Amino acid sequence: MSRGHAIWVLAATAVPGMLFAPVFGAAALVAPVAAVLVACYAVAELCLRFAALRPWRPVFALLVGLLALVEVSLFDTTVGGLPTVESGRALLAGVSDSWELTLQSTWPVRPEPELLLFVPLLVLFTAMIGLELLRWPAAAVLPSLALLLVSQAFVAVSGLVATLVGLAYAVLVAGLFFSRVRSAVALTVVLGVAAGALTVVVATPAAYSVRQNQTAHVPLAREVSPLSEIAARLGDPDTEVFRYTSDAPVDRWRLVVLDDFDGVRWTAADQYRRLGSAVEPPAAVTVPTRANSARVTVDGDDPWLPSQGMPASVTGAAPLIDQDTGTLLLTERDGRLSYDLRWWEPSGDLPDLLDAAVSGDVDTGGLGTVPAGITTLAREATRQVRPTFRTAMLLEQYLRDNYQVTTGGTLPTGSGWPQLETFLLKDKAGTSEQFAAAYVVLARIVGIPARLAVGYAAPEASGDGETVVRNGDVLAWPEVAVDGVGWVPLDPLGARGGVGRAPSKLAEVTAQARAALPPPDEDVPDPPVPADDVTEEPGDPVPWGTLVVAVLAGLVALLVLAVLAIPVVKFGRRLARRRLGGVRGVVGAWWEARDLLAAHGARITPGMTARDLASVSEGSIVDSLHRLAFQLDLALWSGAGASDGTVAAAWSAVREIRGALASRSLRARLRAVFAFR
Amino acid sequence: MSQTPGQVYERIADNVQRVIRGKPHVVRLAVAALFCEGHLLIEDVPGLGKTTLARCLARSISGSWNRIQFTPDLLPGDITGVQVYHQNEEKFAFHQGSVFANVVLADEINRGTPKTQSALLEVMAERRVTVDSVSHEVPRPFLVIATQNPIEMAGTYRLPEAQLDRFLMRLRMGYPDRAAEILVVMSDAAGIDPDELPPVVDIPTLASAVAQVRAGRIEHAVVDYAAAITSATRQHSEVRYGASPRGTIALVRAAQAIAATYGRPFVTVDDIKEVAHPVLDHRLILKPEAELRQRTGEHVVTDLLSEIPVPVAVTSPQGA
Repeated sequence: MSRGHAIWVLAATAVPGMLFAPVFGAAALVAPVAAVLVACYAVAELCLRFAALRPWRPVFALLVGLLALVEVSLFDTTVGGLPTVESGRALLAGVSDSWELTLQSTWPVRPEPELLLFVPLLVLFTAMIGLELLRWPAAAVLPSLALLLVSQAFVAVSGLVATLVGLAYAVLVAGLFFSRVRSAVALTVVLGVAAGALTVVVATPAAYSVRQNQTAHVPLAREVSPLSEIAARLGDPDTEVFRYTSDAPVDRWRLVVLDDFDGVRWTAADQYRRLGSAVEPPAAVTVPTRANSARVTVDGDDPWLPSQGMPASVTGAAPLIDQDTGTLLLTERDGRLSYDLRWWEPSGDLPDLLDAAVSGDVDTGGLGTVPAGITTLAREATRQVRPTFRTAMLLEQYLRDNYQVTTGGTLPTGSGWPQLETFLLKDKAGTSEQFAAAYVVLARIVGIPARLAVGYAAPEASGDGETVVRNGDVLAWPEVAVDGVGWVPLDPLGARGGVGRAPSKLAEVTAQARAALPPPDEDVPDPPVPADDVTEEPGDPVPWGTLVVAVLAGLVALLVLAVLAIPVVKFGRRLARRRLGGVRGVVGAWWEARDLLAAHGARITPGMTARDLASVSEGSIVDSLHRLAFQLDLALWSGAGASDGTVAAAWSAVREIRGALASRSLRARLRAVFAFR
Repeated sequence: MSQTPGQVYERIADNVQRVIRGKPHVVRLAVAALFCEGHLLIEDVPGLGKTTLARCLARSISGSWNRIQFTPDLLPGDITGVQVYHQNEEKFAFHQGSVFANVVLADEINRGTPKTQSALLEVMAERRVTVDSVSHEVPRPFLVIATQNPIEMAGTYRLPEAQLDRFLMRLRMGYPDRAAEILVVMSDAAGIDPDELPPVVDIPTLASAVAQVRAGRIEHAVVDYAAAITSATRQHSEVRYGASPRGTIALVRAAQAIAATYGRPFVTVDDIKEVAHPVLDHRLILKPEAELRQRTGEHVVTDLLSEIPVPVAVTSPQGA
């Protein structure tokens, strides 16, 4: 194993390690990955110097690498830098749990050790095995290649990034074969072209990841649903629930979204992930969005944190998130909690919602067994119009106009079919619980995708900017899925529900659509079916020509850079050798002469001395080499060492050789300048 | 007046080269063997001057010298000596054989029977002769210069490989180039006979040169390099039996001697490389399959010399 090979194999291990950057962010990975690689290099260097350590190299590499990782990533668990049992536990969790926690989180994840430890650990194991296999360079590549595959299975890179990464990896791998220049160049080119071709051929439009079906398993107590607490909360309206300061108008806070109904109970799908460092708006939302933020302080030990439809990030707490509904869940908490919530909100010029279509690709949820008369009621309420957002607004209008909100006295509870049947057909009065549940079931009957959200209506902001939300603000509301906008909350209770005092942009647009509705007794013409303008998309529009040109241009640029770098590196090397003094100075001169002649095509074997080289050289170089050999012998073997004069004489011989070589043909000299040696 | 080994070499070499023309390197190696008190086997086809070289060397030293012409009927007693009964004194007395001389020239050694060869090889190794339980020391310095002709088969007994190990060096004369050959013809015409060469070095001078050669400086890295070569011969895939530790010792001592002939008091890697062929070639016993491929010890040593990194490469900075 040589020092150079060790560096190449470690660098080749760093590339797949850093490929986890889309998950953790590059900044979070650099320190731990660099720490373990530097540790591995230090061990390799030590083993090169002290042969006695060599048999223990893998063990040392492992121990030193783990220690470095503890110092860099788990310093909090140490006592003044000394690892404790806690550090060991954290490392063990890094092996067993962190990859799974990462899969359960939204990406990019929070850059916390408990999540990202498995990456530096993988890099450490890979580097350790790679170093051990260095005797066979081809085999030493395999561990890093395996890590590359793992990283790509975790999260695939595509496009230009993949091409560049492939090239970088190919160059580093070729470095392992550096002693055989031709095979190194050939391998670089072949791997580079293969990486480029793979990128072009294997189109990965949305980066594939093994994360698809990994969600956090959260066992929830099913007994208490915020929906069933509505009546109780309305009975005690003045108790404070939470308070917030927001930088933008907020019209409601959601706790939980219930989208499944079996005829008796409303339940949530519970597709929770750990909330990462930042979440982008869902891909289905195509309207422009902007980020708002608020500071929320909540008391009690309710697991659901007040949230918004599309949360972006939470600081101050590490909750789980259901990305489809925006629900934030913090399972283990008690007492007061303050956190900063950022969320995405549709903004700017929203399209006219009234004519917008409802989403066709959203599961409308269950309905249980629909009692007699309800289906007819639903058709009447929507005036038999084909399901669009207009239909949804008509249904809202119907509930607003024909049903009463119960206040005071005994508040009705329950949202199963028996209670809803009573509400819809007999009492025609209820709380937001019945209004919202009735809306959702009626909408679902006519084919509008709807779901039930439970939370609080935002009260009017007080003077000092902090708004206090009380029990009396509790609210259940329906939401319908609109193409391109996402889930739009509706208010079947009307102004009586107290919503709209600080309307958000979406609420404003919804209000405009509401105002544009025709009066209740007027017939609404079925909206025209939009022309089926979905043309046959020509497969995946891969710009083959551009890609191939880009790959080729990249390869050529890389080649040119590599070629230009050679004389610069050589010059630097010569300066470094020239600075050496004593015996090392003479040896440096010998290496310079050797490399010069090698660049000019001399075949040099490891067993060659300066005199051997002289015997296969010709012209005045022979004499110069003999002079150099004389100085070398004097410095190395006579026991007299090397004076400044000896070093100068050796370098003067090198200058003579250089002078002799300068008389060769221009072609030969150019080839020598750009040769690897 | 004490002379340095370099001066001794110059005097012997000048003397020998009055007869042996165009072979300075062989002469240098032969004198180097002399400096290590090592035995010399000169092997080549007839007519290249093997015997002449041996005679010139023997003549150049003022000590005693004997020539033994090996034939199939030569007996061990002819070499070592015998107990002879003296009737007048009524007792046995030891009658010294031809081996009792400073320089013994064993011409065409492979024509002797194995028994006779063994007698010579024993005295080469131990430098004494034992007859009837009485040991007789041979004079020092003691040097055997043997010649053999490798192409003739009939009537010859090839030296066993194991016994070849006793020879410090095996030299091949090689054909002279054209210029050298013309010189040889001219000197032959001029009529210089090896037996007419005057001795140029006396025994005490030679003994002092031998002592100085053995005190030559050698760095640990160079010894390490020599050991690396012999140890590599043992691991070579084509070699059945590689060089023994005696081979390593011979390599180092021969390198010391060759350094002395250059007038250098220290040994370099080039010295090791220069003596590697004469010292190691005949010590390697190749596998039969390698011999079938016409490979020889010389090929193996050439390969090893080009493959084994020289110490400068190991200690160098900024290089690899």
